[in-house]
Amino acid sequence: MSSIADELICYAECVNKSDLLPLISFLVVASLLLFAFYLKSKTPIQRVSSFAGAQLLMIGAIVASFSTMECSRMLTIEMYLAYVFISTGIMLFLPGSYYKILIRHHNAKPISEIVDWVDDFVNTLSEDSNVYYFDSAIPKAFASGKAIFVSIGMLELFDEQELKAVLAHEAWHLRHNNKTPILRQLSLMTFTKFRPEQELELMADRFAEKIVSKGALESARAKLI
Amino acid sequence: MVKIDRINISNEGLTKFFSPIEAQIMEVLWENNEMMTAEITKQTNIPLSSVAGTLDRLVKADFAQRRVENQGQRVRYIYSATTTADNAANAITTRILDSLVDTFGAVAIENFSKYKKVK
Repeated sequence: MSSIADELICYAECVNKSDLLPLISFLVVASLLLFAFYLKSKTPIQRVSSFAGAQLLMIGAIVASFSTMECSRMLTIEMYLAYVFISTGIMLFLPGSYYKILIRHHNAKPISEIVDWVDDFVNTLSEDSNVYYFDSAIPKAFASGKAIFVSIGMLELFDEQELKAVLAHEAWHLRHNNKTPILRQLSLMTFTKFRPEQELELMADRFAEKIVSKGALESARAKLI
Repeated sequence: MVKIDRINISNEGLTKFFSPIEAQIMEVLWENNEMMTAEITKQTNIPLSSVAGTLDRLVKADFAQRRVENQGQRVRYIYSATTTADNAANAITTRILDSLVDTFGAVAIENFSKYKKVK
């Protein structure tokens, strides 16, 4: 087989002629369904089982396709490699740019439009970070990728020191997340988090206390109760 | 929020059409021209944690509107009702009448013309 088109035709013919076609179709569909479930699932057990299940079913589909090949088997291997590269790329790099989706979802705008000191303050703690605000009365702040998101409800509730404490807390998350982005993604993918969420929050609080003050952080927390 | 399928005719006053918190907030917004969030929580005596989400819903449903105002370094929402209490009553009544006419047709219209309040 010289061209990819010929290889694809041969591939389709081999799979079509084979008795394994229903099995291969079933494995591919089931794998995609499990992968969709993986993206939606919330608990670690569901995530582990659906992710592992999807991978196993896809490998099963590839092995079954490989066994039906009567022509060059290289295409199956190439397709498998493409699958590995594409899925790994999505897993590793999509979460890093997820904040762009959040900007669109919340219709968030640069905070410099309404408060001038925030960007400078955050950049002293975490370089090349951006702070965005979004329209909601519910006091809320979170960090993702290279961005911190703050609701207007939070801006109106907190005074400058309290807001700095919250921003320092979120900036710590950015620093922590961006230190080793690939390793962090791998740890997320394989569910081997080094530290539990609670401990990370505590460390972010300690950082905010050091940068601003314990009083400001405690007063901010008291206002949220 | 005013949705025909959620109207509870056995409730009192505005809570037939709004949740109790929504009703309290709308009442203070109709009584006052413009209000800040802190003033709303003070006048309704409802904590911010309950008021904030409800305000978001009222704005989304277009019963209330808000703008952002900078006062020195502080950012504030300024709220107001999108329409008067009478206009809101008019809109709610129209929605309910539409629903009754859709369901019962001529019977509903005949009842409106013969309507007398029975205590």
